[in-house]
Amino acid sequence: MTKPKLDDEAFKAELAGLIPHLRAFARSLSGNATAADDLAQEAMLKAWKARESYQQGTNLKAWTFTILRNLFYSEKRRSWRRQQLDPEVAEATLVANDDPSSAMDLLALRTGLTVLPEDQREALILVGAGGLSYEETAEICGCAVGTIKSRVSRARKALAEIIENSQGGFSGDGKLRASEAFDDIMKQADELSSGSTADARN
Amino acid sequence: MEHQSSGSGDDDRSRKLRQKRIGDQLRRLYDEVTEEAVPVEFLNLLEQADKSKNQK
Repeated sequence: MTKPKLDDEAFKAELAGLIPHLRAFARSLSGNATAADDLAQEAMLKAWKARESYQQGTNLKAWTFTILRNLFYSEKRRSWRRQQLDPEVAEATLVANDDPSSAMDLLALRTGLTVLPEDQREALILVGAGGLSYEETAEICGCAVGTIKSRVSRARKALAEIIENSQGGFSGDGKLRASEAFDDIMKQADELSSGSTADARN
Repeated sequence: MEHQSSGSGDDDRSRKLRQKRIGDQLRRLYDEVTEEAVPVEFLNLLEQADKSKNQK
């Protein structure tokens, strides 16, 4: 049985087309732009080296995401494992946005993402933003479809709570400084995540 | 439409609305990155890898 293989030129073109997605997925895992690009580059090169084992007709995006994810988790001491939200990024999010309430949401979302358990965060990003199906995401993460569904739903719930709580502090006072807002969201997110470890058992 | 008893329906709607907003913002965060220009380094590395293959 010989499955057709993409020739190198076609593979290279498709892989190059996926670079923006590799970068976006890496950024969501690592949180740090420079480290994320290192990760995305290594994943791209690994995918290129492994091109013989890619089966044409299957989803190349899911295949490269699997490689990237394995790389991320296998090298724990690499810089890309650092998961933090830089207060300067937070400040920039707020300043660059012309709609303050939407900027607040976006900041709360960024912050919320950093405190979600890793497995929930990646499932939510892949399904909610990366355009992958539950089935593809399950394959990438090496677990059952039902597990992905429950991770996504728990992640959505937790984020909704974080965002809702963060809004309490801002309504009616547009003068709150961005750094205070950031501290406030961070604090609330911490409280929530320490509570949510308990229900992450099931 | 009776408003007295529609409390849970409103909750439901506002929950859905919030979730939609989170979904939109999530995609925005992701697309912020996919819409960036790809650093030339990526394509250079890929070309290099392709060329070095032929030298083996």
